[in-house]
Amino acid sequence: MNRTKVVNSARLLRVIDALGARHETTPRFRQSRFALSWGAPPVLWQLAFFVGPLLLLVWISFWSVSNFRLTPDFVFDNWVHLLSSGSFTSAYAYSFKMALLTAIVVGALAVPAAYTIAFRTSQRVRLTLLLILIVPFFTSYPVRIYSWQSLLSPNGFINSLLEVVSLGPYLFLNNWFGTLIGLMTLTMPLVVIIQTLAFSAVDRRYVEAAYNLGCGRIKTFFTVLLPLAKIGLILSVTLAFVLAFGDFVSPTFLGGSRPPTLSILLTDQVQSGNHWPRASVVAVIMFVTLITVVLSMLALAYRNKWRNV
Amino acid sequence: MKTDSIRHGFLYVYLAALIVFVFAPIAANLVFSFNAARFPTLPLAGFTTHWYEAIFNDGRLVQGLKNSLMVSGATAFIATFLGFSAAYIDYRYRFFGRTAFLALVTLPPTIPVVILGLGMLSFQSSVGLLGTLPGIVTAHVVYCAPFALALTRMRLASLDPSVEPAAWNLGATQGSTMTSIIIPHCAPAILAAFFLTAAVSFDEFMIAYFISGFNQTLPVHVLTMLEGQVSPRVNAIGGVVFMFTIGMVVLAQVLMFGRRST
Amino acid sequence: MSNIVDKNGRPISRRRFLQGMGALAGTAVLSSSPFRSLHANDQVLNILTWPGHGDPFVVREFEEQYNCTVRTREYEGGEEMLAMVNQAPPGTYDVIMADAEYIEMLRDGDFIQQLDPSDYPLDDFWPEFQEFETHWVDGDLYSVMLRFGYIGMAYRTDVFDEAEVSSYSALWSNKGEGRVGFFDWYLPSMGCVSLYEGNQRPFDIDSAAFEAVKDRLLSLEPQTAGFRGMSGVFSMLTDGTATVIPGVGDWVAFLLQEDGVPVASSVPEEGGLQWTESLSIANGAQNPDLAKSFIQYMTSPEGQVKTARLPAYAASIPNRKGWELLNEEYPDAARSLRHTFDERNVIDEYRDGLISLRRLPVQQNIEQWNDAWTEFKSL
Repeated sequence: MNRTKVVNSARLLRVIDALGARHETTPRFRQSRFALSWGAPPVLWQLAFFVGPLLLLVWISFWSVSNFRLTPDFVFDNWVHLLSSGSFTSAYAYSFKMALLTAIVVGALAVPAAYTIAFRTSQRVRLTLLLILIVPFFTSYPVRIYSWQSLLSPNGFINSLLEVVSLGPYLFLNNWFGTLIGLMTLTMPLVVIIQTLAFSAVDRRYVEAAYNLGCGRIKTFFTVLLPLAKIGLILSVTLAFVLAFGDFVSPTFLGGSRPPTLSILLTDQVQSGNHWPRASVVAVIMFVTLITVVLSMLALAYRNKWRNV
Repeated sequence: MKTDSIRHGFLYVYLAALIVFVFAPIAANLVFSFNAARFPTLPLAGFTTHWYEAIFNDGRLVQGLKNSLMVSGATAFIATFLGFSAAYIDYRYRFFGRTAFLALVTLPPTIPVVILGLGMLSFQSSVGLLGTLPGIVTAHVVYCAPFALALTRMRLASLDPSVEPAAWNLGATQGSTMTSIIIPHCAPAILAAFFLTAAVSFDEFMIAYFISGFNQTLPVHVLTMLEGQVSPRVNAIGGVVFMFTIGMVVLAQVLMFGRRST
Repeated sequence: MSNIVDKNGRPISRRRFLQGMGALAGTAVLSSSPFRSLHANDQVLNILTWPGHGDPFVVREFEEQYNCTVRTREYEGGEEMLAMVNQAPPGTYDVIMADAEYIEMLRDGDFIQQLDPSDYPLDDFWPEFQEFETHWVDGDLYSVMLRFGYIGMAYRTDVFDEAEVSSYSALWSNKGEGRVGFFDWYLPSMGCVSLYEGNQRPFDIDSAAFEAVKDRLLSLEPQTAGFRGMSGVFSMLTDGTATVIPGVGDWVAFLLQEDGVPVASSVPEEGGLQWTESLSIANGAQNPDLAKSFIQYMTSPEGQVKTARLPAYAASIPNRKGWELLNEEYPDAARSLRHTFDERNVIDEYRDGLISLRRLPVQQNIEQWNDAWTEFKSL
């Protein structure tokens, strides 16, 4: 072997070695490298498969479609068309209203249940109840909505019960009421769980102090418990809003697309016209709305905390 | 005190009513899955296991089930790993941009799935992932990792922050601290996260609906059936999915809390 | 210890060498793309179709005979079909089932192959359907008719009697208030409204007539029950949320009648539409020969009988030999489907002249009609 070959193979071996070697390193460097090797994977994954697609959506909203073919472009047509269309604005208003209604109704209805689980049950029962509430969260939501469809129909179970007491039959489907029931089905378990955790995190000593000072149960609830659990409660309501705003299944199967929501509009544009740009406009507007709502609610929740810090 | 117990009674009744509301459609689903008639109307037409037999004999559904299992398995592995990594970083380090880091990793479930679905659709069709099972896995990992993060973070919160530095002082490297202290401590949470993310992925239908081509997962099949045909097979599928996800969740529970005494 | 030293002068140990090689190998693996779609092999036939056509009831015999698997990707509405062929890379589908009015667009987009008429039993078809115009573009055959049906209204027989549904005006009647369901696709629904407006060629109307149709459509707003997909159309009539649905026909009524739901369909005096589902071979198909065999099977008498009695929704068939087989094996179905030779049948109805073929809008573009439909939904 001549000298050049030896030198070159040595160089190659040094490169290979460098890939696997642990150098003389400072603790600081080792710490950073450790942090990077654990922190990089989640960040990279999210950037590639989460942020990337969302940014692409924004860009696609400026593309055009002719004859069902998507072409990269830079036009404002899609934005103009949607923002000036009556059906878009009414879909937006309806989605917002239903999401707000769901958030308020579910948020309010969940409170007594969460309170009961947090304060009026033993540890064991509490865990069992939380487990019971987790179950529907993971059982096919579309199939549950399909069941509601038959339960709420004019000759379904609910109306048959009402018939026994000579009421009805009422039309629960193809209107806002059916949609609301569906959205409640979607959000209720999660909201109850979050509120229960929020109540459980409240320091009992405040409650006991209130009782010691002569406060009745109800008064304590409103003046001590609720404010202390405020953050969790606001979070639960916000989450209900977000889930309800974006849902597609309930407005379609229980609401009869009457009127359509933004999610229905989005899916329609993709399916019936290959119109990804317009669908992207709807998506971007939905996203901006939700971020605004979430950030405002977070600011509201943590307002006093920041002030006191 | 009497008013107290009346109030208590009322509260328990209320809670029971709420649970009935939440479980009504599930109960109806199970009942109708054994109903002999094609349409889910009353009165019931007689008991049959015909629909369950039908779905297990339907090759497409079985394939959909296999796809779902593969996707949820792969998703669980990757999502648990990523969730653990993110939880560990959040637990140990204070750094500039920590909020942004957390936001990046926890945001996906708050974005409406129709938006995520559309975004994945556009993105994956341009990189050739569209219609492939790995494509669905990448999308599901994005959606499920936050759950793994939450579980692991909760478990890490119960680990005294001074344990790690103590180990380093005693001469352990970061790597061996990780393998001999952190991971064993988090083991129940990691296992629970695995099953939880598997369950979430198994049930996820909207994103998969947008991006799956011929390799449909089971929930996508259900959604297309619900839209396209009337078939009580949907009820039977619902029954099967119910059993599966209950199994996963119970397993997660047992692993999280069963070892609490140790 | 080797004689190779690293940059600090220490000899490279075997351990570090292996670690480095591992890193190299890992990089190599990661850089090769693991993302490949499942390759279609000889054994798989991919079909783009309306819901329900992949049902084992129809395809099992074909699968056994040709030792293959049939996979379907389903859509509802021609525009969704177009969206899917446009989105999919070439070779995704082998067979495309499309409504006849879309064949020209598919050919113009280069999505389907030219067919050889002698491969298919066109001579066995009823004369009216042997040279079905929209299947031929510039004298070449691109598609073969599989099944068809008539569209008018489907209604509950316990609410409306036959005389009342002899005109589309039933939709505006009291009995329909809040109970008019809609199949969520603009084409058949608006076509029926156009017929009601007296347009002889319901899809070939000028802008004034289109505005009139649009206004008439919007006037139905107080009557609407809801907008649903195919399965929703069935369930709306079954559970009573809708008592009448325009833009649909036998395909809904037949299935419900079999289950004892009191539903019937009618073609009103203003006229009805014909929908036609046809099969084509996709360009770039991975299994073009298997695709051809599939089309031949489905248009043979055995296949025709199966597709006529499709579990998802029934239909009429164009093959006369298929009619004969149907009358032999399933005389009751033949009678309900009006496919008998001794009584008034669907061909007689066609010859009456009340049925117009459903077409794509001629003087407006699809988007205008679709937008009108979206506006109607949002009211």
